[in-house]
Amino acid sequence: MASILETFGLDWAKFLSQVIIVLIVYGILSKFAFGPVLAMLDARRRRIAEGESNLETIKAEMGRAEEKVCGMLAQANADAERLIAEARDSAEAVRSQKTQEAVKEAQQILEKAREASRLEHESAMNELKRDFGRLVIDATSKVTGKVLDDKDQKRINDEAVGQVAL
Amino acid sequence: MVSIESALPMLAAGGIGAPTLPDLGWFTNSIFVAIVVTVAILLFTRMATKRMELIPGGKQNFVEFLIEFLYGQVEGIVGKHVAPRAFPLLATIFIFVLVSNWFGLIPGVGTIGFGEKTAALSVDSSFKDADGNYTFVPLLRPSTADLNMTLALAVVFMCVWLYLSISELGLWGTIVHIFGPKGGVQGALKWGLMIVFFVVGIIEVVSIMFRPMSLSLRLLGNIYAGETLLHTMGGLGEALGFPGWLAKISSVIFPLPFYFMEILVGALQATVFSLLCAVYIKLSTTHEGEEHH
Repeated sequence: MASILETFGLDWAKFLSQVIIVLIVYGILSKFAFGPVLAMLDARRRRIAEGESNLETIKAEMGRAEEKVCGMLAQANADAERLIAEARDSAEAVRSQKTQEAVKEAQQILEKAREASRLEHESAMNELKRDFGRLVIDATSKVTGKVLDDKDQKRINDEAVGQVAL
Repeated sequence: MVSIESALPMLAAGGIGAPTLPDLGWFTNSIFVAIVVTVAILLFTRMATKRMELIPGGKQNFVEFLIEFLYGQVEGIVGKHVAPRAFPLLATIFIFVLVSNWFGLIPGVGTIGFGEKTAALSVDSSFKDADGNYTFVPLLRPSTADLNMTLALAVVFMCVWLYLSISELGLWGTIVHIFGPKGGVQGALKWGLMIVFFVVGIIEVVSIMFRPMSLSLRLLGNIYAGETLLHTMGGLGEALGFPGWLAKISSVIFPLPFYFMEILVGALQATVFSLLCAVYIKLSTTHEGEEHH
């Protein structure tokens, strides 16, 4: 066995030096290559997983945001419709109120005009009655040639006015 | 007739052992190449991993690809549980053996050296002195064409293998794993087959003891044979008595097809060595229950 190994060139000093070299390469690669690269690959794997997870979260957030936007839009539409309806109602109420006010005002104006006309008519009638009474007294006085006293004048006047049914 | 000795300067020191470089004691040309390979690996990995970024550049990308690929292969064989501890050594073996194997294909390896009538990038067959001793020592020799290196790789692996096996199964678990009944045999059959499993265990121990030799000699044989082939082809023209100019041209043309083959053999041997190591780890760290899944 020893001679075979010798034929193949085995020498313990050389063998040990080669063992040391192998261990050095083992150490170098473990420290400078495998360690950092595997750590980097692991970090990248984690980052990708994190990215995927974030993507799912973002998708879920987007879904929720979309739902929220849809809800807000629906709410805004409902509010807008309600406001329009309220405005329409309010306008209708105002219009009705203004119409009523206008009608009332017109009625009042009409009433006032009617009252003024009546008062004027009454005043004219009273004036006419007084003039008529005076004419009757004058006529009576001229016809009878008699100077009528106040008592007669009042009686004649009342009778004349009483007979004029206006 | 072409003799191996005349075509292969590596044999200058006698046998197939790596010769020591002149006046350097135990420092052989294969140790020198191993150091060169180590420094090359160190420099490249440092350049690739010094400033690592999440979005990798060229070198970092290549190293990441290589390591991720190797890790996937190792994990596929030894399993997720053992892979983190087994991967560094298995990947080291693969990378180191691959670089060393391919280093031997660089022109000048095995041909440039110390001694008489040596010439760069050529094989000189006149390197014996009057007493028949070889006088030429090549400066560079693939470290995997030296038993000291291949055995060192195998022995380091066996030490790590033993540590992984015991740490995974425990000392008693490892013994039971080797000598105990397998295949979930129960009852009287188990006790009846106990002696058979014990004998199988002894055979298993012998096979384990031979693993360093089988691993190292397989690698050595293939790489050494490849080197021999290339050098033989390189010196074929001269050995066949071609004129000087034709011998020089043939020294380039004849080995060329074999260079492509040796590129393949270099990668294949690195794969075989590390693959066998991974399988050995898998066999010795698998729990009884896992075998049936």
